[in-house]
Amino acid sequence: MNHGQQSGEAKHEDDPALTEFLASLMDYTPTIPDDLVEHYLAKSGFQCPDVRLIRLVAVATQKFVADVASDALQHCKARPAPVVKDKKQQKDKRLILTMEDLSKALREYGVNVKHPEYFADSPSTGIDPATREE
Amino acid sequence: MVLHVMLGELVSLNMSNGVGEGGRSQSRESHGKRELFQGNDFAYVLARMAVAQICENVEVNVSQKGVRFSAFQESALDTLTGVAVQYIQSIGKSAQFYANVAGRVEGNSLDIVQALTDLGSGSGVSDVECCLGDSGIVKDVIRYTGEAEEVPFVYALPRFPINKEKRGAPSFSEVGAEPPYEHIPVWLPAFPETNVGTIEGNGPSLPSIQHSFNGGGLEVLKSPKSARNSTQGEEEMEGNPFLAAPLRFVENEVSPVVRLLELSNEVVGISHVSDKHTSNNNSHIPVLEASTPCDDINNKNKLSESEDGKKKGGARPQQTLLCFKIGTLKRPSCLAIKGSVQGRRWFQEGEVKREKKSETEENGERFDLANLGPDVVI
Repeated sequence: MNHGQQSGEAKHEDDPALTEFLASLMDYTPTIPDDLVEHYLAKSGFQCPDVRLIRLVAVATQKFVADVASDALQHCKARPAPVVKDKKQQKDKRLILTMEDLSKALREYGVNVKHPEYFADSPSTGIDPATREE
Repeated sequence: MVLHVMLGELVSLNMSNGVGEGGRSQSRESHGKRELFQGNDFAYVLARMAVAQICENVEVNVSQKGVRFSAFQESALDTLTGVAVQYIQSIGKSAQFYANVAGRVEGNSLDIVQALTDLGSGSGVSDVECCLGDSGIVKDVIRYTGEAEEVPFVYALPRFPINKEKRGAPSFSEVGAEPPYEHIPVWLPAFPETNVGTIEGNGPSLPSIQHSFNGGGLEVLKSPKSARNSTQGEEEMEGNPFLAAPLRFVENEVSPVVRLLELSNEVVGISHVSDKHTSNNNSHIPVLEASTPCDDINNKNKLSESEDGKKKGGARPQQTLLCFKIGTLKRPSCLAIKGSVQGRRWFQEGEVKREKKSETEENGERFDLANLGPDVVI
């Protein structure tokens, strides 16, 4: 197969995409600062003197977070709007990043986040208010 | 410390910057909780702000009108930050792993791309024969940088983690002192100063104490105290028992060994047990004497208060009321405890009569033994 024969050479030929990208990374400033990324990478054992690699990781993480956030935003928008009495209020819906939307979005990325529904700080928490003894 | 000041500023700025109204009310109460379980606070706060910035700029185009997040739930933001931090760390771990497998110490761009592919971030299918530079993840990232708006981080960061330069102990030549012995070269660190006379006073300067290891026993005694005096802001040092000054090396009064003859006489007088039992316990009584009896017995004997639990000097004549016996008694030991009705059932009927007889003998003194508590074996 040409693909197989070229694999040894293709690695050198198709790399320019990556190298060009790495070169262009110096112009792009990722939102996550370099020091922070370098700190966490060093914490897990990855050491590299090259700044471009740090930026590559930063951009990849930024992309990941943005993807998760956009999925959560879509979940949030997809939820039916609550019943409003004023028609003027209906279009101005304030979108809030909630744990529900976030857990749904993260599930597609393989991260299971289960948020407890209530904080049990008293024995009567979570009980139906009608049956709660007071 | 500069780091803490910056942290305080950043946290307060964070609260007012990207977090919406829903999060603000929760922020004050959960702030304390968050500080407890997040190990690296400064880095975590920075990561949180960066993630908040990213989320702020996420836009979903719905019918040509960009819709964005206007607020965050605080716990959601924390969760997302935790996930992002774990993401970075797993990239680092996998990339380092690939570099090590290839026999390298430092990571490569291809290692990172491989790590990203392993995490499943790329949309394309990873092919074995396909070049890594061609993989889906690289294309995705390139596309992302082209599309997304460039938002730099809000604050200018100092270089962190801040490394304090550790000043080593000055050598003999630097101090200008002569080494006391011939075999010690001049370039070695100088000995710390030992002031035997001034224990209470400040004595030598604080840095010399801090930087010198234990050159003498007294240095250990001084350093927590002087450190405590100097850093008054650190409240935890004052209350920390492990950092308290150790006990002085002074001769403590210890109760002398009670002679066995005295004790055995008292024992015979009180418990009405035959002598042969006491003779078995010669080896045990001193051991039990050393272990202080429980507090209610002390109170009952009306001993004077012993401060700090130290042993009092002199004999304790009032304590002979006690009789601990661990020995080879013919009857089972659990029967001696009053009220152990269940114990009686365990034994044959022939022994029960004998036990009752011996119990009546000791009824007069029963109150002493019963008050010892269930964990005393008699």
